[in-house]
Amino acid sequence: MESNIYQVYEDEIQSLEEEIETLAREYENNQLESTLYSDEKILMPVKPFQRESHEEYEEPEFLPDLKAWFNSLESDLSFLMKFTGICPENCSRKTLEKTGNKAIQNYRLSGKCHSLPFDLEFQLLETQSEEGTSATVTDLSIIMESDEYCDISKIMSRAEEEGNLLLFFRAFSNFAQWCKHRKCTFLHFKVVC
Amino acid sequence: REPAQGGAERSGEPCHQAVLTPLRELHPHSPSHPTPQGWEERPPNGLPLPSFLPGVLSHLEKLEARAHELALKEEETKQQRRQKVARLRARIKELRQQRDELKMKVSLRQMAVRADAEPVQTAKMREQVLLQWKVENVEAMLHVFYLTGISGKLTKHGVCFCLSTAYDGNYLDSYYLDIVIKQPVRIRRHSVPIFIPLKQIAEKYLQTDIRCFLTTLSAHLNAYVGRKYQADYLQKHFSAFLGRHWQTNSLCNRLTFNYHVTTESSTFPFRVKLVYGDLDRSLPTEASDAPASLLEKVAAHSSLFTHMALHKAFDTFRKAAENPDDTE
Repeated sequence: MESNIYQVYEDEIQSLEEEIETLAREYENNQLESTLYSDEKILMPVKPFQRESHEEYEEPEFLPDLKAWFNSLESDLSFLMKFTGICPENCSRKTLEKTGNKAIQNYRLSGKCHSLPFDLEFQLLETQSEEGTSATVTDLSIIMESDEYCDISKIMSRAEEEGNLLLFFRAFSNFAQWCKHRKCTFLHFKVVC
Repeated sequence: REPAQGGAERSGEPCHQAVLTPLRELHPHSPSHPTPQGWEERPPNGLPLPSFLPGVLSHLEKLEARAHELALKEEETKQQRRQKVARLRARIKELRQQRDELKMKVSLRQMAVRADAEPVQTAKMREQVLLQWKVENVEAMLHVFYLTGISGKLTKHGVCFCLSTAYDGNYLDSYYLDIVIKQPVRIRRHSVPIFIPLKQIAEKYLQTDIRCFLTTLSAHLNAYVGRKYQADYLQKHFSAFLGRHWQTNSLCNRLTFNYHVTTESSTFPFRVKLVYGDLDRSLPTEASDAPASLLEKVAAHSSLFTHMALHKAFDTFRKAAENPDDTE
């Protein structure tokens, strides 16, 4: 009699474990490709949901801390976007290779910098070692149309050649701010004339 | 309350049930916690004992002890069974939770956040998994900002900026500045090395244009890091070309060393002094080679050093040495 109950329980345990293994594998596969969101859809504050069932579920202790952590990260992110003027709108990242302590990811990053659109693609190689994680950018390609940017095309091609994201963003950000000032000035004169 | 004389006659049969009347009830003046040993110590009060009674009593004691033991064992088995069932149930609950969480994670990744998403789990679990996903999302975005050169974290007083540096696509050290945003803007703490002219840059830009201050400082830091990287790389990968005297300063903007170049069958020694006049650049403004027999080669080298990274210049020497036919 009792052995029946044990059998039932143990069968359920086994089927749950198998299900978990399948789901974990599926999650792992899905992790390889993901799109990051930066607009309000995702940055909206976490709203409380309606209770759907009366199933017992203990509130995990870290949930309020996680919320606080998310809120602080989110305010950091919106500050950085306002301060630097760099607003990534679409960022997709795909894991191309992951072996041992090395991972290569392909990034496609597009958005606006001080209202000027940018579009980049690059690969990031990350290596774990005792000192920490080291990152290297390879294969940077700047995808935007260059007719508007002929003034900085020389710097842009140098940045592309060297895989220098920092140079790209510094130059592009300066250029975009300058364009903004120029527009403002012209608008001013237009009104005056 | 039959006296157990019948039991004595059926002594061969095992008796599983603890239905035997505890012997203490036959003797009203006996202690409240009788044990078989206790019985042996206390003779019954005021009752005449028939001669066969001690034998019967001891037998009954044995039976009682046995019954007691069996009762304990059964209680133990029952408890073990209960514990096992409880363990199995707990495990099932844990696995169910794990499975439901994973299911939610998988389904969330497959579809974008939709208000009409099929409710699969309880509200709290869904909220938690969604929150975890959002945190991952924001953390990845912040990592992207790190890659652009300027990132940071809001603090009580203002902002703690992080300036990342990179050379040749390789991300190197990051430098931090804890800045108070309210007027007057000031730097509370920083990890910028002292040989970087932080004070001058701050005097020029900090109060009026923080962004400009940071980009100028970032340019200096990146240039320093780039010069250092080139020098270290040269020493590591081109040591065969280098002589013994290597002189540099902390800012890595003055570099003097000996090297030699081999063409055909001869080796020519050189001593070069590189001056990096622009602190926000990683290429030297001046390169003076010590006079050598072939002045043209000296001129060629000087221009090489001022136009390309150190290790790339030495790469051309290496290639020239390997292919002597290609040299002019």
